[in-house]
Amino acid sequence: MTIFFQNVMPYPLASLQHRSDSIWGNTFELEQGQKVLLNASSGKGKTTFTHTLSGIRNDYSGSLRYDEQSLASITPEEWAIYRRDKISFVFQDLQLFPELTVKENLLLKNGLTDTYTEENFKEFLTILGIPEKWEAPCKLLSMGQQQRVAIIRALAQPFDWMILDEPFSHLDKVNTALCLDLINKRCDELGAGFILTTLGDYHDFSYDKELKL
Amino acid sequence: MLKKILFNNQVKSQLIIAIIGSFLGFTFLITSIHYLIRVNEFGEGEEILGSNSIIIQKKVSTYNSMNIAKTDFGDNEIDNLRSQPFVENVEPILSNSFGVSFQTDSDLVPYFRTDVFVQSVNSDFLKFDTDKWKWQEGDDFVPIVLPREFVVMLNTFASAKGLPQISDELAKSISFKFKLYNDDQSEFQKAKIIGFTSEVSAILVPSSFMNYGNTKFPTEVPAKITQLMVSVKEGNFGTFEKLMEDRSLESKESSMIVGKLKSVAGTLFGIVMGISIIAVFLASLVLIQYAQLMMTKNAYEIKTLLRIGYSPTSIIRAIINYFIKVFAVITALSATSFILLKLLIDGLMIKGGIMISSSFTVLSFSSVFIAFVIYTFINYLNAKKEILRAR
Repeated sequence: MTIFFQNVMPYPLASLQHRSDSIWGNTFELEQGQKVLLNASSGKGKTTFTHTLSGIRNDYSGSLRYDEQSLASITPEEWAIYRRDKISFVFQDLQLFPELTVKENLLLKNGLTDTYTEENFKEFLTILGIPEKWEAPCKLLSMGQQQRVAIIRALAQPFDWMILDEPFSHLDKVNTALCLDLINKRCDELGAGFILTTLGDYHDFSYDKELKL
Repeated sequence: MLKKILFNNQVKSQLIIAIIGSFLGFTFLITSIHYLIRVNEFGEGEEILGSNSIIIQKKVSTYNSMNIAKTDFGDNEIDNLRSQPFVENVEPILSNSFGVSFQTDSDLVPYFRTDVFVQSVNSDFLKFDTDKWKWQEGDDFVPIVLPREFVVMLNTFASAKGLPQISDELAKSISFKFKLYNDDQSEFQKAKIIGFTSEVSAILVPSSFMNYGNTKFPTEVPAKITQLMVSVKEGNFGTFEKLMEDRSLESKESSMIVGKLKSVAGTLFGIVMGISIIAVFLASLVLIQYAQLMMTKNAYEIKTLLRIGYSPTSIIRAIINYFIKVFAVITALSATSFILLKLLIDGLMIKGGIMISSSFTVLSFSSVFIAFVIYTFINYLNAKKEILRAR
C-alpha cells in the first residue's frame, strides 16, 4: 500500500512558516516496504502527522491517500479494517489499558487477527527484557516497560505500514536497538514499511527515506 | 475482555436502582395489562341486549314509599314515551305475579334452591337467535337468561362450601328447574341457561312462559309494569337522559353489580398500568443514563479499542448485549413475580365468585417486549452516537 501526500496542510499549522522540503504543503509518496524516519524537534507536528495518517485527525487541506482511497472518505467501519489489517500504530501516549495485565493487553489486540500464540508473546517479552511482566497490570509498569509492551502489541497483526510516534523516548540505547531490530524483522517478514518519528536521534539505523517538518 | 474493559470499573449502585425500578415497573405492567384484559373479557360477548337498549324505572322516593307516588308505568306513560322522536321502541318488562323458586336439578352440582323473580323481555330487544327463545306448554325445558350476579352468587356459595367453581359453559350444561306455585297448587318446569346478562337483575324467561305462569297460578298481587325496555335511536342517548331526568326516571344499567365491578376493577388496573408505564419509563431513563455514563467514563477505553482495530459495531454490540442480559434478568424476575401474583389474585377472584380465564395473555408479555425493543433501540442510537464520536 502506497501512501500519497498531495499538498497536505493541517489547519493549525497553516499559519506557520515551513521549510521548502517540509512534508507540509508538498507532494510526495511513501512506497510499501520503505523504512522512513521523520526527524523533528518538539512542537513541529510529528504527532499531528501520525494522527493524520491514522485517521484520528482530519483537520487538514490537500489530499492524503492510501493507494486510491482518500483518507477523508474512509468510514469508521473501514478504519477498523485498515487498523486491523493494513496499518499498525505505536502511539506516543501508548494507548494501553492500564487496568489490564500485559497478557490481557496483548491478547486483546491479538484476538482480532490471531497473529501470535501466548508463547510468541512471552518470547518477545524475553527478547525485550521484561519476561516477568506477563501477568503484571500495565499501570504498574515503568514508561520504558510500557513502551516495549506497546511495540509488541503493534507487531501482533498483519500490516503494510507501522507508524511509530517517538516509541523509544523512555528506552536506553540497548533496548531501543532490540526493539528496532524486532520491528525491522517483522516488517521484512511482511514486506511492510515503517515510519518512525524521533526527536533527532537516528538510533543507529539505516533508513530508506527521511522526512522533514 | 471487552466486558471487563467497559463494565468492571462502573459504580453499580445506579444500575441496581434502575434494575429494581424496572423490575417493579415490569411486574405491575404485566399484571395490570393482564387483569385489564381479563376483567374486560368477563361476561363479554354474552350480553343479550343491543347496545342502544336500556332498562328504565321510576326513581324510588319517600313519596313512593308512602304510596303517594306510583312506581309502575301506566299505558298513557308508555304511549307517550313511544311517541318521542328519539325513541325507537318501548316495551314493558313483564314480571311474575305467581310464586316461583329456582333450584338445581342435577347430580353434578350440589342442591341449591332459592325464591326468585322472573321477567320477560320482548324478543325484539334480544341479540341472540330468537328461535331458542321460545317456549310452549309441554316443552322439555324453559330457556332462561341468568343474571351474571347470580353466577357470582352461585360461585361464592360453592367457594364457601369448598366446592369447585362453575364456569359459564358448565352452568349452561346443568339442569335447573322452576317451581311455580300459588296458594292452591304448584308445578315444576325444567329450565336451561342459554345466556347471561349483566344488564338485567332478574332471571329472564320467554313471555309465553310468563303468561302461562301468570294465568295458571294467579295470585292476588297484580302484575305491575315497573320497568320498561327502551331502544333509543343512535346518538340520542343525551336527549333521552334529559327526558329521564325531567320525568324522574333512572336507568337500571347503572346499578348493575358486574358492570360496577368491571368499571371499578378496570379503573384500578388502569391506574396501576399508568403508574407502571411511568415507572418503566423512569427506570429506562436511569438505565439509559447509566449506559451514557458508562460510555463517558470509558471514553479513553473506547477510543483505544477503536485505534487498535476494534470496529464501532463490535463495541456497540458488546454494550447492547450487556444491557440485553440486564433486561433478560429483569424480565425473568418480573415474569416470575407476575406468575406468583397471578396465583394470588386469581385465588382472590375465585373466592369472590368471579370466574375469569386463568390462561396468560399475550399482550401483557408483549408489553415488556415492546418496552425492551424501545429501550434497546434508544440505547443503540446513543451508543452509536457516542462511539462514532470517539476516534
